[in-house]
Amino acid sequence: MFGVDWWGLALPFAYIAVLLGSLVTFSSMSRKRRAAKSANLAPWFPPHMQRNIYLSLLHLEPEQGKEKSPAVPESIIRAALLRRAVEDIHRIIQIRSAKQACSTLLQRGSVGDDLWQRFERAEKEMEDELRDVVTEANALTPNWGQTIFQSANEIAAGTLLRKKLEDIQSQAPAEKEWWERRRASIQSEFMKELEAPGGSDDDAVLVNGANNTGSIKKKKGKK
Amino acid sequence: MSGTDYSYDEQGQFFPIFIATIVGIVTIPLTYTVLKPSSDPGATAPRIKTDYRPEHADLIDIQRKAQKKKERKLKRIITVVAGWATMAFMAYLIYVTARTIPKIWNPYDILGLSDSASEREIKSHYKQLSKKYHPDKARPDPAKNETLESINDYYVELVKAYKALTDEEIRNNFIQFGHPDGKQSFSIGIALPKFIVTDGNGKYVILVYAALLGVLLPYLVGSWWYGTQRMSKEKVLIESANNLFREYDEGLEEGGIVSALSTGLEFQNALKGDKAESGLGKLESRILAEGTATPLAGGLSTKDRTVLEDLDGGARRKALALLWAHLGRVELDDPALNQAKIEVAPIAHALNTSFTAIALAFGTTAPILASYLTGQNLLQAMPPKASPLLQLPSITPAIAKAIEGDSRTHLSLQDYMALPEAHRKKLSVGKGLLTEAQYKTAMSVAKQLPRLQVEKPFFKVTGEKYIIPSSLVSLVVKGRFIPPGSQDIPEVNELDLEDIDPDEDDLDAILGRKKKGIKGAKSEEEKIVQPPLAFAPYFARDYSPRWHVFLTDSKQGKIAVPPFTFTTFDKPIYDESGKPTFNMQTLKAQFQAPPQAGHYTFVMHLICDSYVGFDTKMEVTLVVDEASKGADIEADDDISEPDEDSLAGQMQAMKSGAPAPPKKKKKPESSDDEESNTEEEVDDTSDTDTDTDEE
Repeated sequence: MFGVDWWGLALPFAYIAVLLGSLVTFSSMSRKRRAAKSANLAPWFPPHMQRNIYLSLLHLEPEQGKEKSPAVPESIIRAALLRRAVEDIHRIIQIRSAKQACSTLLQRGSVGDDLWQRFERAEKEMEDELRDVVTEANALTPNWGQTIFQSANEIAAGTLLRKKLEDIQSQAPAEKEWWERRRASIQSEFMKELEAPGGSDDDAVLVNGANNTGSIKKKKGKK
Repeated sequence: MSGTDYSYDEQGQFFPIFIATIVGIVTIPLTYTVLKPSSDPGATAPRIKTDYRPEHADLIDIQRKAQKKKERKLKRIITVVAGWATMAFMAYLIYVTARTIPKIWNPYDILGLSDSASEREIKSHYKQLSKKYHPDKARPDPAKNETLESINDYYVELVKAYKALTDEEIRNNFIQFGHPDGKQSFSIGIALPKFIVTDGNGKYVILVYAALLGVLLPYLVGSWWYGTQRMSKEKVLIESANNLFREYDEGLEEGGIVSALSTGLEFQNALKGDKAESGLGKLESRILAEGTATPLAGGLSTKDRTVLEDLDGGARRKALALLWAHLGRVELDDPALNQAKIEVAPIAHALNTSFTAIALAFGTTAPILASYLTGQNLLQAMPPKASPLLQLPSITPAIAKAIEGDSRTHLSLQDYMALPEAHRKKLSVGKGLLTEAQYKTAMSVAKQLPRLQVEKPFFKVTGEKYIIPSSLVSLVVKGRFIPPGSQDIPEVNELDLEDIDPDEDDLDAILGRKKKGIKGAKSEEEKIVQPPLAFAPYFARDYSPRWHVFLTDSKQGKIAVPPFTFTTFDKPIYDESGKPTFNMQTLKAQFQAPPQAGHYTFVMHLICDSYVGFDTKMEVTLVVDEASKGADIEADDDISEPDEDSLAGQMQAMKSGAPAPPKKKKKPESSDDEESNTEEEVDDTSDTDTDTDEE
């Protein structure tokens, strides 16, 4: 028979076992850690308030002591769904505009990998969200699913425009006030110069006055 | 071969050599990196001369020094010193062990003869020696520490040596092989000391080996890898860059960018522990107090204020408040807070670089410009949309406001300096304004600031008359450094405005230019001129100004050609006495022309990232002609006829998309052809040069 030195063989086997064991442990630990990390990544978007409102309207709990839950009018539910679609449009625009930039920045090493992971997750979530909105809309009114995002898009664009207009108009009072003040100060200076002069430097004042009015007119013209 | 055939390094005579070599391989290059002249601009660039010291200049100086210390590569210096010490010790060991090696027994040496001595000489010499050293004759000399015994021993040695030399065989061995026993066997040595392989030490050796391979190597690789993962390309923490990306918004303005910058993790590290909250109340009351020139002392708009007040307490809120305090130059009356205020500015500046990169990736013009302006503001400690006059020493927001009067638009530095001297002085000096001495300092600083005035921007393709679709176009910007308030500015020399192509046989210049295009216009000239360091008395770092040139599309509001950055110039900006030279500087940026012919109108931005109000914005039109037009004109020139099978002919064919027409112009690209040395060719090239210069 073969004289196998089992004790002598034990050492290499132990070596292999330790080697493989450590590799397996390392791999599983690092996988677990990565999975935990990506699960803990902060979501890209803040909580979707409009969706929450819609869902809670849909599943209203009956009040205490009452059998039936309060009936929500169909129109309110539809409005809530439309609001939800408008918010989705905002998010889609954000994702679309950021995608190109995010991937180029990632390639250049200017942003990190987990940003990209978060981004991709947000993208996937948005796809699901859109599908969900479309089915909900079809459930409420047949064929509404095909047009709900068109109307939502228009609402979003309109809101944006109105907000910009408001921003510009909110500056008006401050501008007006400044201009009133400026005009008053120019006027008072002008009057002072008209009243102040003695006889000798009449000419100079006249020239000055002419200059001043000229500048006022110019300013007005600009406005 | 079994292990016993190797001889180990028992005396340790090779081991030190081995170690010294290994250490030297590491140490010598490291020494070079430590000793080589630093590339830090602060070391070589000139400075703007002034004796102005802002408040808390001492604190700023302390921070600058601390930064320098940090950059001094202490670890590397220690490694280098340790390396040289090891090498010196090894050299000492080599020197010492060389002496202890027993010499081969050499009878010639003992007798004091040369190796070539003949038998007769040996005999006669031995006789003389034996007369002298025979124990019967020699007397022990206590002065030389001799005893009877040692004399005896010496004589025995002499006799032995003599016997050996008179023995024919041994002498022949010596002559042939240099050894008394004849030919020596060839032996292989291992430069390891014997103790490594002796029994019982094996486990320690394995332990060390395992530690090196199993612990140190993974640690080094891991720390390198995670180190590169931790920082972004713009040298900020990657998580800060991620936050900035999340904060990006198309509608961001300067104030919004400042708020976005406060998300940087660097601030959390700088404001650790109780630093994150301490003095926040006082700080906020100071920056939200009523300001002299702005509604709030920190220069925040109402929007920025709500952003600040909506934040939870903690490091981010404090960082943002400190940033506004820095921008508004708000005195905080607390050494710790003032210190922190100075500290946050460089951090925010670094983060802003990262934000600029992000804004460039999105490509929308407004945030890009806003982020460049934020960089200027951070450097000069000025709130957004503040008067550029604040850049001059001693000018406070109140004084700037008094100088500007009740005007909506700000007076730029150059306009202010262009006012007649008497009028300017009347505006600036007086009660509650500048004193005479302060005014003088401010003027002297203003007249040193490097303001690049664009004289002429134009497009060209090197060596061509027309710009054809998809060709490599250079945007050439000709400009002069004209400090605000300069007098006697010479007229622009028309010749300076032309961009002359280097001769075709001037290969270096052509190659140099190509390099320039790739690297983003680093001047290849031998003489590189650095602009003076930015005059930023409130910023706790030395900063070398940069100029960015980029093109935007005004209709889409997007960037068309990404920025080219210029840090050095090829002609001196100031002469020895500090007077501006008004030399014409050339900035070149290369990009690909659009694929369709037509007129393209771009807005060119030239931005200096260190000074507020020195930016240039102007419209430039790129005329792209049909490809056929370029080819036609070339065909009309009867300059030279490259064969169809030559490089030039093939390039022509490729370019026009048709088989080469019978007559074509020689391409500058083919200048490395062997014929380009002939006189005829040189004449041709100079002709084409003058043709193509006019744009």
